[in-house]
Amino acid sequence: MLAASPTTLPLFLALSACKGPAVLSAPPTVSPQTQTLLHAVTAEQNLIWIYNTAIATYSGLAPALAPLRAEHEAHLAQLRARVIEPPGKHVPEAVTARPALGASKAAALTQLHAAEQAAVATLMGRLNGASPSLAQLYASIAASEATHVSVLGARIGAR
Amino acid sequence: MSAPVGALQAALTAEHAAVYGYGVAGAMLAGGEQAEARADWTAHMVARDALESMLTKLGATPVAASPAYALPFAITDSKSAARLAATLEEGVTRAYLGLVAVSNPTLRAFAAKAMQASANRVLAWSGSTQAFPGMPSAS
Repeated sequence: MLAASPTTLPLFLALSACKGPAVLSAPPTVSPQTQTLLHAVTAEQNLIWIYNTAIATYSGLAPALAPLRAEHEAHLAQLRARVIEPPGKHVPEAVTARPALGASKAAALTQLHAAEQAAVATLMGRLNGASPSLAQLYASIAASEATHVSVLGARIGAR
Repeated sequence: MSAPVGALQAALTAEHAAVYGYGVAGAMLAGGEQAEARADWTAHMVARDALESMLTKLGATPVAASPAYALPFAITDSKSAARLAATLEEGVTRAYLGLVAVSNPTLRAFAAKAMQASANRVLAWSGSTQAFPGMPSAS
């Protein structure tokens, strides 16, 4: 790495003065890996929204659903924490899908079951091309959500 | 990227331990629990064979099972047997998490699916889910 010196610094400033504003105005680039991560953040937010709606609508489901929702909130926090590129990139906070909730407790459970299954499949699709540490996070979250599929499936079967 | 052979050997080591441990746990279980343990034991033998085959294809010698393994706690009844099964599955999940770090997409997918299976077996034996199966508990 070059160290700043009395001779190199003025030259650097002179070069910067010529092209600085143009360089600064370039939009930040988002790598495909970061784009995938941002999609994962949004997907997790959308899933939490369904849980929130189901719990608010059918309070009797809260004891079963709240622990699963808490794990999704932990997933979301970890995913958001991994967004480090480019610096200052706004991490999405908006829910982008608000499907109509099932018209009964059983329908809501079935809807969540399907949503969890889809989330696992989507995360599996995110593995390819991810960095080793991100792949591990996706795989761990997919494993967690696979257990949610089982919990919800058992709940549906017991009704 | 992690070397595939090392990660595969680590997963195989965990599978060997699981095969041994389910033999111990199964002896303390009865009825439906014993049937479940037998099914899980079989699943681990299938996974062990698959890992050995992958290693052989890579030109490596699969790590052998130990004659015996130190158990993490005394297995004296069905409750401790179930806890052992859950502990074994957590070890298997951690090992497959290491395999997920390799760059080969086929091995990654294989390991991720194996993590889902073992996380579900943890759920079956412990009754609880985890936010980050296989990851260090601090995360």
